[in-house]
Amino acid sequence: MSNEMIKITDLKKSFGDLNVLNGVNLTIKEKEVVVIIGPSGSGKSTLLRCINYLEEPTGGSIVIDGIPLSGEANINEIRKEVGMVFQRFNLFPHMNVMENLMLAPMKVRGVSKQEAEETATKYLTKVGLFDKARSYPDQLSGGQQQRVAIARALCMKPKALLFDEPTSALDPEMVNEVLDVMKELANEGMTMAVVTHEMGFAREVGDRVVFVDSGVIQEEGTPEELFGNPKTERCKSFLSKIL
Amino acid sequence: MELNFDLMVKSFPLLLAGAGITVEITAMSVFMGLIIGCLVGIARLCTIKPLRYLANVYVDFIRGTPLLVQIFLVYFALPGIIGSRVDPFLAAISACSINSGAYIAEIFRAGIQSIDKGQMEAGRSLGMSWAQTMRYIIMPQAFKRIIPPLGNEFIAMLKDSSLVSVIGFEELTRRGQLIIARTYASFEIWMAVAIVYLVMTFAVARFTGYLERRFETK
Repeated sequence: MSNEMIKITDLKKSFGDLNVLNGVNLTIKEKEVVVIIGPSGSGKSTLLRCINYLEEPTGGSIVIDGIPLSGEANINEIRKEVGMVFQRFNLFPHMNVMENLMLAPMKVRGVSKQEAEETATKYLTKVGLFDKARSYPDQLSGGQQQRVAIARALCMKPKALLFDEPTSALDPEMVNEVLDVMKELANEGMTMAVVTHEMGFAREVGDRVVFVDSGVIQEEGTPEELFGNPKTERCKSFLSKIL
Repeated sequence: MELNFDLMVKSFPLLLAGAGITVEITAMSVFMGLIIGCLVGIARLCTIKPLRYLANVYVDFIRGTPLLVQIFLVYFALPGIIGSRVDPFLAAISACSINSGAYIAEIFRAGIQSIDKGQMEAGRSLGMSWAQTMRYIIMPQAFKRIIPPLGNEFIAMLKDSSLVSVIGFEELTRRGQLIIARTYASFEIWMAVAIVYLVMTFAVARFTGYLERRFETK
């Protein structure tokens, strides 16, 4: 069972009276790319944020690489292994790109400055931004900032990466540079969960597409199955609106 | 009425010595206030309820009572409880530090809350603890933003420290009073005192402006 990277069972989350997740079951295998789609307010972002415990689940269980997530007790251990990329990048504006990349490996993993620098250089080169190492986030375009954010997550050498609408805050011409980096990661076998509205990406890169609505998974399957022949009415109507 | 400029000029050295003490009280109080304020400001935002409650009570009490009364409490009321006299300098510094701490706590709280929530989330999602994220991510950004209100607080304390003259502590205002007691030159001396305060607060305001501009470039 070791190749089950993320196993979510009957996950529930409510904010006061508002039930956002009503029992989600989802298993993501090692090296699998799962794309989560659904209308806004359907709970897809909340689902992703629960995996990283940025939202505290109200019920159900989450197991990451065999280790059950048990709240504050082991959350930092889990977060080391599961990286997160945010819609709004959330780079640290008071640090240059290199410092953004080196901080967590040094403070959390305890690696030496030299090693952190080598790792940072490697991933910064990978996302094609080595020449921006000494720039500050506000000197970069949105697409560049998001690529730095991906490199920052990679520097922790995570076992899985979560993407929360990584291209939604970008100008259209910058979307592809970010998607290209994500495609490359997928091809290299990174385990990924991606919440996105980029259906082209879902089709091309996703091993599995999950349609979430009203806080439950309504339908899931390969991109061909889900886009080609949606079974539920809700999924059909959602796809007809966006495709 | 004839103004005695000669007396004004003559009294300046004495007043400047008092001003030195005013600066000393202010600097020490604001420094202590920074330490208190940083801790209390964070405590007001933390999830541990008793800690948050204590911090709230402290800030409410200090902001809700006059500094003059707080000085009296430390200097006159406290000896009754601890059974020994409190040194005026210690009383002045303590009262002003505790007072300043409450206002600076509010400055810190607002500064921390002004930082985008995504920063804390990004730090935590990388596996850093709450304390690490606070130290390396949130506080350095918050600190830049609180420089202007901290400058205001310093200026306010510079002026409010005149209140410690009531416990006989010889800072700038008390020096003025003493000179007037000898010379009866009320107008000249109070004008001189006012000018010395003005020069000091003006200098602090300019210095804060400089710091603000320096930190803005990055």
